[in-house]
Amino acid sequence: MRKNTAKYIGCLLCVLSLAGACKKDYGDLNNATVQAFTTNATEGELNNLVSGTESGMRNNLALYLDDVGIIGRELYHFSPSEPRYVTDLLGASGATLSNSNFYITNPWASRYQVVKNCNVLIQAATNSQLITPAQRSGYLGFARTIKAYQLLMNLNLTDSNGIRIDVTDPDNLGPFVSYPDGLTAISALLDSARTDLSGASIAFILAGFGNFNDAPGLTLVNRALAARVDVYRQNWASALTDLSQSFFGLHSDLSLGVFNVFGTGSGDQLNTFFIPQNQSGEVRIAHPSYASDIEAGDDRINKATLRASAASLDGLSGNRDVWVYTSSTAPVPIIRNEELILIYAEANIQQSDLSDAVIALNIIRTAHNLGAYSGAVTQAALLTEMLNQRRYSLYCEGHRWLDLRRYGLLNELPIDRPGDEVWTEFPLPVSEQP
Amino acid sequence: MINLFRLVIGSICLIALPGLVFSQNATITGIIKDVSGVPVTGASIVIKSTSRGTTSDAEGKFKLTVPANASLVISSTGFTTQVVAAGGGSAQLHIRLEEDITHLDEVVVTGMTTGIKRRNLANAVSTISSKELDGVAPAQTFDAALEGKIPGAYINANSGAPGGGISVKLRGVTSVYGTTQPLYVLDGVFVDNTSTSAGLNAVTAAASGGAPTSNQDNPSSRIADLRAEDIESIEILKGASAAAIYGSRAAAGVIVITTKKGKEGRTKISVSQDLGFIKARKLLGVRQFTGDRAASLSSDSATSAALRQEFLTAQSTGKIYDYEKEMYGNTGFARNTVLSISGGTAKTGVYFSAAQKDEGGIIKNTGYRNSSLRLNVDHRITDNIKIGLSTNYINSSADRALTGNDNAGVSLGIALSSTPSFAQLHPDANGNYPSNPFASSNPLQTIALMKNNESVNRFITGINLEALLQKNDISATKLIARGGFDFYNLQTTALFPAALQFQAVNKGTSIEGFTSNLNTNYILSLVNTLTPSDKLSLTTSAGLTGETGDYNNLLNVATQLISGQSNVDQAGALNATQLRTKYQNDGIFIQEEANIIDAVTLTAGVRFDRSSNNGDVAKYYVYPKGGVSWNLTKMGILKEGFFNDFKLRAAYGQANNVPAYSSKFTALSISNITGNPGVLVNPQEGQANIKPERQAEFETGIDFSVLKGRLGFVLTYYNKTIDDFLMQSSLASSSGFTSEWVNAGDLRNRGVELGLTARPVQTRNVTWNTSVNFWFNRSLVTKLTIPSVPQGSFGYVLGSFQIQQGKSATQILGLDGTGGVSKLGDAEPSFQMNSYNEITFFSKLSLRFLLHWKKGGQNVNLTNLENDFGGTSADYDKVTNKLGVPDGVYRIMQVGTDAHEFVQNSSYLRLREIGLYYSFTRIPLSYVKGIRVGVSLNNYLTVTKYKAYDPEVSNFGTGFSTGVDVDPYPASKRADFHISFDF
Repeated sequence: MRKNTAKYIGCLLCVLSLAGACKKDYGDLNNATVQAFTTNATEGELNNLVSGTESGMRNNLALYLDDVGIIGRELYHFSPSEPRYVTDLLGASGATLSNSNFYITNPWASRYQVVKNCNVLIQAATNSQLITPAQRSGYLGFARTIKAYQLLMNLNLTDSNGIRIDVTDPDNLGPFVSYPDGLTAISALLDSARTDLSGASIAFILAGFGNFNDAPGLTLVNRALAARVDVYRQNWASALTDLSQSFFGLHSDLSLGVFNVFGTGSGDQLNTFFIPQNQSGEVRIAHPSYASDIEAGDDRINKATLRASAASLDGLSGNRDVWVYTSSTAPVPIIRNEELILIYAEANIQQSDLSDAVIALNIIRTAHNLGAYSGAVTQAALLTEMLNQRRYSLYCEGHRWLDLRRYGLLNELPIDRPGDEVWTEFPLPVSEQP
Repeated sequence: MINLFRLVIGSICLIALPGLVFSQNATITGIIKDVSGVPVTGASIVIKSTSRGTTSDAEGKFKLTVPANASLVISSTGFTTQVVAAGGGSAQLHIRLEEDITHLDEVVVTGMTTGIKRRNLANAVSTISSKELDGVAPAQTFDAALEGKIPGAYINANSGAPGGGISVKLRGVTSVYGTTQPLYVLDGVFVDNTSTSAGLNAVTAAASGGAPTSNQDNPSSRIADLRAEDIESIEILKGASAAAIYGSRAAAGVIVITTKKGKEGRTKISVSQDLGFIKARKLLGVRQFTGDRAASLSSDSATSAALRQEFLTAQSTGKIYDYEKEMYGNTGFARNTVLSISGGTAKTGVYFSAAQKDEGGIIKNTGYRNSSLRLNVDHRITDNIKIGLSTNYINSSADRALTGNDNAGVSLGIALSSTPSFAQLHPDANGNYPSNPFASSNPLQTIALMKNNESVNRFITGINLEALLQKNDISATKLIARGGFDFYNLQTTALFPAALQFQAVNKGTSIEGFTSNLNTNYILSLVNTLTPSDKLSLTTSAGLTGETGDYNNLLNVATQLISGQSNVDQAGALNATQLRTKYQNDGIFIQEEANIIDAVTLTAGVRFDRSSNNGDVAKYYVYPKGGVSWNLTKMGILKEGFFNDFKLRAAYGQANNVPAYSSKFTALSISNITGNPGVLVNPQEGQANIKPERQAEFETGIDFSVLKGRLGFVLTYYNKTIDDFLMQSSLASSSGFTSEWVNAGDLRNRGVELGLTARPVQTRNVTWNTSVNFWFNRSLVTKLTIPSVPQGSFGYVLGSFQIQQGKSATQILGLDGTGGVSKLGDAEPSFQMNSYNEITFFSKLSLRFLLHWKKGGQNVNLTNLENDFGGTSADYDKVTNKLGVPDGVYRIMQVGTDAHEFVQNSSYLRLREIGLYYSFTRIPLSYVKGIRVGVSLNNYLTVTKYKAYDPEVSNFGTGFSTGVDVDPYPASKRADFHISFDF
């Protein structure tokens, strides 16, 4: 009997060794993997990364606009289920901006996710043997331009807290750099992208870039963004140079530009900043000062339409809906000519070319049904006028808070409730803390 | 095969042999009854020190040939084992078995295929009998029926939504981001307990990022499908020291479920009917408005004046409503019918049941329906080969409404929170609902028009083969093969028609989810029992196990619906997502149990495991176990006197928890833009070297019984460590990743479980059996290799979980009001207690009840805060705070500076179940053998200071972060009338 038992155990061991042979590794059944795409990517795979990059730019974009717009007193976001839009962001009753809350962690992570995608695209294009060198340059130029733009958006939020520029190796991230150094690095990145794009061949399709979808077109966009960075850096002369190499045109359509576009297709996104007019509950309400400060006759009042009834929450109230994005597929500008004209005005004011500035400002005024500028033609007065035009022209496009901060004028923003605060910057997300 | 044949023949010869040797044999007969004179069927009668014996028949009778001076060991589940002299005369033996209230003679599973008596057990294994599970005040679902019944467990309902959804954590949290839920094994089949989201996040946006699913979608747990009525008993292996032999998936403990089997004897047919109703356990009440209060809802003067007028108009026309009551005040009717047939011959036993229940909810258009068929067949092919088949088909359907956290103002509670009593939400004569000016949705309209249904078709089949390969007087070898499959199709339907207020943009949303899941598992084992003398018995087992899982979930989110249509193709926009997971785990085990003079039991075993989910798929990880129990009374060291039974025990074991399926890969997720297919780096970084987390548990205890077994104590201490626990580490999000799976550190759970069973009263007419359990657990993170960040809730402002080295794993941190962040609470209760009681009068009337006390432990309660924000909380205008402002205002002022207000004690004392049953035994109709009637109340009485619907709540489902309260489906209570007939 013992012997038999031994035989049985022997059999069992045989079965064991058989079982040992059929170990299973199922791989990822749900997605492509970074590893596969960075080995020797095809044009199709690289184009998937390009579209994913363009698509990813929209993640948490509405929240970014909320962040900048709420602190910049452009709008209120009343949400029955999310108090922090009216507490933390406005500094109500001692509330502060937390480094662990969604309003900084989510947009910050989404921008760096796109940066990562750009880095994967750069690596994939560099490693690919299946594309021409000109095509490779096209991918690199696009990736670096978008990467710079995404880094800029995060730097806009954290300001003097800075950003990381070198994030290629997740296990060995580069240091945080200061606001000026961040801008310098972003500027350099845009410049290197311009170099990539010269003579590049574009093998991919973009959704929101209109006619700027070839190498010269992308260069125009690249310079437009560079001009924006220039004014942030107070490099007024470079701003004018870059403008001249961008799609800037005093007499071009104000809405000429590149956009984040939205769609209802599978795997696509809707513009979540859009809320129909006269909703109750979840609403975006124009800050009352938008209508009270506006010049009579300004057609930009249509960006904040009157509601059937006022909306209020937690001591805040307003009777106009934000009506900048008028459908769930309304595009959100990346950069457009109206901003470029105002950058042109700003750079000229700063360089004391006041008459050129007045011409530019009047183009904006006229376009919005206002008479020519009649105020004092001094640098100070024109700066005020320029900021005011930026306020109305770029309403809810993510600018006012940054503009007033650049000029040290955040104290001019209205305080709605006693104790409310105007924040100057967001803390670094808790995940970035050492 | 030839070997098997030889073996079988050999065994038969050996079995026949003793009959030849003992020439002075006598044949004896006997009858076995219980204390009240009812025959005990299926009791085992074994000649002491041999493995020969028989079982009693339907009338409790048996017949056995015995040698001279033999002793008989009589045992049966639920009764104390007796040893009697066989005598030898012709007189019938009359044996009266006493009910075993300490359960010392119950056989408990200790291996994949072996078991030993509780008397000799090295672990504290809890058992739930059929009566405790389902015989007091039956719950709606199987998972709810476990509540309050497992010492050492923290069981918590996620919400009151019909169809279940309950978290079971055995002996503390055993993982942070890995599975915290135990493995359920039903008749040898590993049963799936996945929670599949219906895609509600597409509507609620509870989690940002735009994914259609999130862990805030409040799905049910699939274990809820099981029928408590079919279950004979449940054993709970709470940690690795007991569960190690289950290997790969046993780290969070194992719940071993055994269903009823047909026994030899007359075929019993039983029909039972329950009728009952379900009501909300508690409502919070609504704010009593006045003109001034209505006006204060807005700071805008014009709006304020309009609100005042709106209120005054509503007041004068009598149109002030309690919307909470209208929404949650429904009475759901419940019915449950069960037909069971059980019986068998000496060779074949059959148990069949057919059951259906249909229950309404406390919100209109919600409810639960479950239909089940079960057939268990056991057949003895020969004397030595036994085969058992247990099959179960289940069809369940749960309508669960739209509740819980939400960022779109559409879930019922969130909408209610900002809707004052003077709002006008009722439909006009044509059934058209007005828009709710106070919220993004009109909750009455939402209840009337929406649908959120989970329906399941499920087959669970287990096969059990036992073949006696060899047997003689000292040795028996069995081949045990067990296995089965669990297959289900789950269809989730979430429909939000265009008419709904919040569908203004999407113009109707239909979310259809299709999930199929197949789990299979097998165990092949050889078990040898060697009894060289009556002082020593050795059980050796060795075998192979394998498990596979194949899960496929397809979720379609259609918007811009064609009017009146719900099919996903009848839509202007369609988004599809698909998620598949697949795994295969292989294991090898070997285990030895030695029982010396029935007083010392030594167990040692080892398991080798590998899994396709591990980073290294080929590597076998080794998990040992061992245990010792030492019965001092059996050994004679302690004289039987004051102590009837006194045992010291200790056990140690290891088990693992495999990494999540996707943890190895850095995926590129789909992210399209206007028809261009795009891929975007997934925020979760892959970890190619991921290892399973390893749990090691040491458990020791003393079990003793005194006063002739009328009082039994079980004292247990355990220390369980989890090494390399799996965590989704928050990465610096500038890396482009927000998280990665890592083996992040070590944590420890220590705890004590004290159990007492007693029969305080035993007279001719009244018996009172009681059990009292007390238990607590303390966790400590002993090592953390990644930066500590808040997680699993809504940040410090409102109170958040955070894993920190040197701190409790379940601590809750938050803003402390002095500008810093401090510990404000802990989800872990200070202790829990339960008491199960059964008082029987004249053997006919039985009163049973279960009390459950959870002391301490905090929730993050945001339900009340939401009501404050909406200006609708019932106590908004009370002034009890130090600033002298209305409490609602005061609480809002705390947001952003002090989170104490939201981290609230969730202690409760609950009368979980109480039932009164009467049995009629003398019935004039001969074909009716018995009638039982009863009434029961389930969760009817709760004593708590907790300020929301119920202290049992979890917005984030069954994972690590339990107890976050955001406007859940309110908990319910139920009352039932029961009647059953035995034929």
